[in-house]
Amino acid sequence: MQHLNLITRRGFFDRSMKIGLGVALSTLVDIPLVVKQALAEGNIGRNGKKLLFIFLRGANDGLNSMIPVLDPSYATSRPSIALGRDPGVDYTAAGACDFFLSGTGPTYGYDQAIKLGNGFAGIHPSLKFLAPMYNAGDLALIHRVAYPKQSRSHFDSQNYWENGNPGNNLSKDGILYRAMVESGLAHTSPLTGISIQSSLPLILRGSKAAMTNLTDPSRYDLLGVPNNELGNNKADLAIKKANGFPFADKRSRELLKLQYQNLNNTLKIFSDLDFSDAGNTFVDDINTDNDYPYHLFPTSNAKNGGYVRSATTNAAEKYVVNPNAYGFFTNLKAASLILNNTDAIVAGTEMGGFDTHGDQGGAVGSHANLQKRIGWALYALQKYFTKYSNKANWDNLVVVTLSEFGRTTIENSDQGTDHAEAGVMFVGGGAVHGGAYNCGPADPVPWEVGPTGSMFGASKRYLKRATDFRSILGEILREHLGATDSQMARIIPGYADPDENLRTGGISSIDKVAITGELNII
Amino acid sequence: MLKPGLSAIRMVFSLFVFFSLSSSAAETPPFNLSSLGSTNGIPLFRWQPYPATVSYEVFTSLSPEGPFVPATNVVGIGYDFSPSDSGEMTFYRVKATSMPLAQLLDTTLLNRLAYGPTPDELARVRSIGPDAYIEEQLAPELIQESLDILPEGTETNWVYATATGTASSSTLYVYLGGAGAFFIDDIKLVEGSVPEVGTNLLVNGDFETDLTNSWQVPPNLILSSLSPTAHSGTNGLSLVATEGGSTANNALLQVISPALRSSRAYTLSYWYLPTSNSSALTIRLSGSGIVSTPDSAPNVALARLYQRLLSGTATLPELRSWYVQHAIRSKKQLLEVLTQFLENHFVTQYTKSHDYFDGFYSGNAIPNTLATQAEFKEITRWREALANPACTFYDLLKISVESPAMIIYLDTVNSRGSGSRIANENFARELLELFTFGVDNGYDQNDITTLSKCWTGWSVGLMDPTNSHNPFAPTLRDQNPGVAYSNLIGDWSFIYKQQNHNTSSKVIFPGAKVPARFGEPWAGRAYELNLPSRNGTNGIEDGYQVVSHFADQPFTSEYISVKLCRLFVHDDFDHGYDFTSSDLSDEGKLVRECMLTWENSTPKGQMRPLLRTIFNSQLFRSHAGSMQKVKTPLEFTVSAIRALRSENADGTATADSDGFAIVGNSPSSSSASLNRMGSMLLFDRSDPDGYPESGPGWISAGTLSERLRFVQSFLIAPGQTGKSEGGANNVSDPVALLKKKLAPGTWADAGAVTDYFVDLLYPAEGKANLELYRASAIDFLNSDNGGVQTSASLFQNLVPNGTAQQIAEYDLRVRGMISMLMTFQRFQEQ
Repeated sequence: MQHLNLITRRGFFDRSMKIGLGVALSTLVDIPLVVKQALAEGNIGRNGKKLLFIFLRGANDGLNSMIPVLDPSYATSRPSIALGRDPGVDYTAAGACDFFLSGTGPTYGYDQAIKLGNGFAGIHPSLKFLAPMYNAGDLALIHRVAYPKQSRSHFDSQNYWENGNPGNNLSKDGILYRAMVESGLAHTSPLTGISIQSSLPLILRGSKAAMTNLTDPSRYDLLGVPNNELGNNKADLAIKKANGFPFADKRSRELLKLQYQNLNNTLKIFSDLDFSDAGNTFVDDINTDNDYPYHLFPTSNAKNGGYVRSATTNAAEKYVVNPNAYGFFTNLKAASLILNNTDAIVAGTEMGGFDTHGDQGGAVGSHANLQKRIGWALYALQKYFTKYSNKANWDNLVVVTLSEFGRTTIENSDQGTDHAEAGVMFVGGGAVHGGAYNCGPADPVPWEVGPTGSMFGASKRYLKRATDFRSILGEILREHLGATDSQMARIIPGYADPDENLRTGGISSIDKVAITGELNII
Repeated sequence: MLKPGLSAIRMVFSLFVFFSLSSSAAETPPFNLSSLGSTNGIPLFRWQPYPATVSYEVFTSLSPEGPFVPATNVVGIGYDFSPSDSGEMTFYRVKATSMPLAQLLDTTLLNRLAYGPTPDELARVRSIGPDAYIEEQLAPELIQESLDILPEGTETNWVYATATGTASSSTLYVYLGGAGAFFIDDIKLVEGSVPEVGTNLLVNGDFETDLTNSWQVPPNLILSSLSPTAHSGTNGLSLVATEGGSTANNALLQVISPALRSSRAYTLSYWYLPTSNSSALTIRLSGSGIVSTPDSAPNVALARLYQRLLSGTATLPELRSWYVQHAIRSKKQLLEVLTQFLENHFVTQYTKSHDYFDGFYSGNAIPNTLATQAEFKEITRWREALANPACTFYDLLKISVESPAMIIYLDTVNSRGSGSRIANENFARELLELFTFGVDNGYDQNDITTLSKCWTGWSVGLMDPTNSHNPFAPTLRDQNPGVAYSNLIGDWSFIYKQQNHNTSSKVIFPGAKVPARFGEPWAGRAYELNLPSRNGTNGIEDGYQVVSHFADQPFTSEYISVKLCRLFVHDDFDHGYDFTSSDLSDEGKLVRECMLTWENSTPKGQMRPLLRTIFNSQLFRSHAGSMQKVKTPLEFTVSAIRALRSENADGTATADSDGFAIVGNSPSSSSASLNRMGSMLLFDRSDPDGYPESGPGWISAGTLSERLRFVQSFLIAPGQTGKSEGGANNVSDPVALLKKKLAPGTWADAGAVTDYFVDLLYPAEGKANLELYRASAIDFLNSDNGGVQTSASLFQNLVPNGTAQQIAEYDLRVRGMISMLMTFQRFQEQ
């Protein structure tokens, strides 16, 4: 059986001009997409590991999320909004992350900092659902994360976090986009990187491969003429049949053929997934918080925490998140469903509202409401990927939160906080080495207390960074997803540069600040 | 090629192509056998389709010297055949006859110089020939067009409008779609279907008395009043909207008493007189049983948008709608394509401008219109420049650096270099990296730092319109200190703040020489730029000297030529060719030719000769340029509308879009088609490198799903399920098109109808290569909605001009078939 030139490549005309017609496969300049996949290095997308990211847009106030309880400057800097200490709790004692409230009902009423158990810190009471995961060793709470030459512009700083290139605020593609391209699967697999939000975020954008953003996953099907079951079916079959028609060789036809196939495959997969509210049947596996099992993804009142409890109960005590969060959880559910049921490697969404310049609130208020969402989201993800696991499970998944910067140490005159530098990152997953990082005096870059300490370490006003966010993402990409060192240098520029110290830690070459490098969280 | 096991059959198989005299690979790509196999001992030959083939013919001979005669014993169609077993050694040849290159070029021109063919344009280009079309499009100033011009009399005469319908309620709304003003008079509502016959059921419809007891006025219409501008009597209504309306709390309202009789017929009539830049008027009953939207005729609506753009009252969705409607309808297609190229090359961002203006005004309304205006002004200046036959790249570059949108976008607006201040480097970096030389092509970081000082002082200010072209004139704030911006009327324009300028002398590219790879005449040329120390208003010359110098460098001509070749020919032109190499590819040679054209025109870099170089190249005019690119979301949506759009004498067309159905109704409209297909937000890209030009940047399973839903929704008839999906105002009437173009006797002929649309949608594919598509389409026409073929479902048994039901059935069938064709892979290409 002899095959001559099944698929001619882009360079073929080029070459054949120089050498003459009838050139052998071995001299082809460009290789077919399917071959690219086989030649790709590393394990991204091949080892079953997945990543889910949530971008907290607006700058999450890290100091009120992961609280330096034993830094005396904390309470004095934030007279209105600081979380208080529970007098019955010894925050210096090592142990589990826990708190106590009398009674057997849900513990919504707790309003002090929850002891973290690392002898120094606490967490916001609205993050109480992080406790089980933290105690199981599956959650890394990382404080003092930023990058050198901090920008206090939301737009610029979000760009740096997403393009992995601080200082280059107009850069063209995203970290996770580059990671997907490195996997070699970006053109051949139906879904590699996907986001569920209003438009594709920079972290997944790039010009050589189109990552998918779905504003609404239920749209992922086709319309026939007429647009009813029969008509839709007739249209679908026609497209599938035409996918097999042979075609004259032109650039992009191989890509189109592959992506049409991907579309067919994904339609098939998606048609079995129910993204609607009615299909939201995922519930906790225990009685949540001394109540009955809650729905994991609150997408409506009826699926929001303890809604079905007595009608006379105060709404704030019934809901596990406030009703404004339904849009976010609809998107998070879609991202989870997709990650769990397809070969997608990376999925993500975003949550907004963190720019709490005024009336931030302490134990209750706008910031507290947002923490409730974060806490519940991570709890729900752990339960979903354990109990309902299919192609993804909690041990193969890492969940990471990102936010463009932290907020000012001292509260402002509007009982809020302003743009600052270092903030927190939460990294959860079965493979994660859980714990509290960068939030204690015994840490590699110690937390120094007091008015001349870490909380005023940058420009005498802001919490100073101890870890570059790229070190966290870098370790996840390398240790978890399986990028090689040379891939890392391409995915995060400067990662391999010993001067930058992103991997091993040391003194940052840009601003001479001591940074930890990778924290061994995976 | 011996096939073991085939008894006594030895065959030699060769393929040849019937080709024109020249033999370059671009003009005659290789013709290849895909596979050679057998089924039940019968050999099966299959070959990969040859580009643009109109016929495949098989010849046989008993000896290799011939004579070869047409084979009679073949089975199969298209790309494969099986001969019967003759028992003797047989030689076979396949001949592929490809479309003449001139015919291929017709389609390539419409796919690249235009946003895709329309039925009429395809026929026109085929008849006038490609060279005539090229010369016509290169000179848009000579093309007659009235797209943005209001039909005569629209402004000065009162216009009469009527609408008949059924009573869905007893509440009448009157509102505009956005800000603007109309005069209205003599509104009447009568029972029955004849206007003005019967008692007028409205009170004060002639606006002779105060509005108070007859009409309710919402806050957004509070400036409305009685006016001496009247159709009859003493007064008419001056309806003035600060914001658009749509329903009870933002429309002028009258509750009719006694109530109308539900479901009875009533007729509305009135006279109206628009002012020059109004948004659309609607008068309707709540429940829309009676709706009147005069001036929604496409020509008038578009012209109104243009007036609003000129007057600075337009919002971003209106700019986008106007822009997309131009792409669909304009005869000056190359001008539209080049506008989008420039818009995507010299990237600016609406949101950044908005945020800048936000600092001067409270509320969103003024920053919205100012940011829109900044975008509109810049593309208008480019379009005017392109209308000049001698237009150069330098002219276009100069417009960009002077554009307030650019000055704001790349942070020059507040950049200072005086004293010890450090200038902002963003613009300097992107000017070199993205707008002229290309990344790392002949410059380094030091050059960026020095260059950034040249732009210090370039800023924007609110100017009296008489001063808006004078960057040294005082701003309105200078002239009226302490007055709030909202009380100053003027234009935001480029101004020069000499006090912010770095006045030192500067050397950019010190000692630099053009690298050897550029070859003659550039290699070795020194291109150091020395700027003397300049004070006062002279400092502005730094910037102008820089762009003048940059525009003349081979780095720029290379970078821009590559970009234009990628736009017009195919995606695989590279930066950084060694132009001296004997191995230089065809693509490299074309880039070099473009650079030479640039170098040798006077002044350098004239656009029309440069474009001609590309359009006359062998690569462009052959298979190498045909169907080699993928449509961007803008190209896809616009070309889909155009593909079915034939204009009628009365100004209507067989396919249309109001623009908003593609771009959305709000700046960040997440449900807009262009956003869903990959976030192609016109005029609002946040990254300065522009939207991708090549396929991989746009095509993924998810974005394909959106593209398919778009065309499917476009083909669904108004009012049917699924219509509002992609925007209800993308409308098509393929049956009307078909009836216009085909003889009545063929309307129910599946073959004839299919042939017409297959050629219309895939004009460069080649008839022989489209056999399977054609068969699929005929199959579709002949089967019922469930895909089952019966004698009743056969297309020839449908009645195009029968009863209402028969017409609807025919319409549905045709729409479905065309929707199918437009969802195939080939329609993604250009």
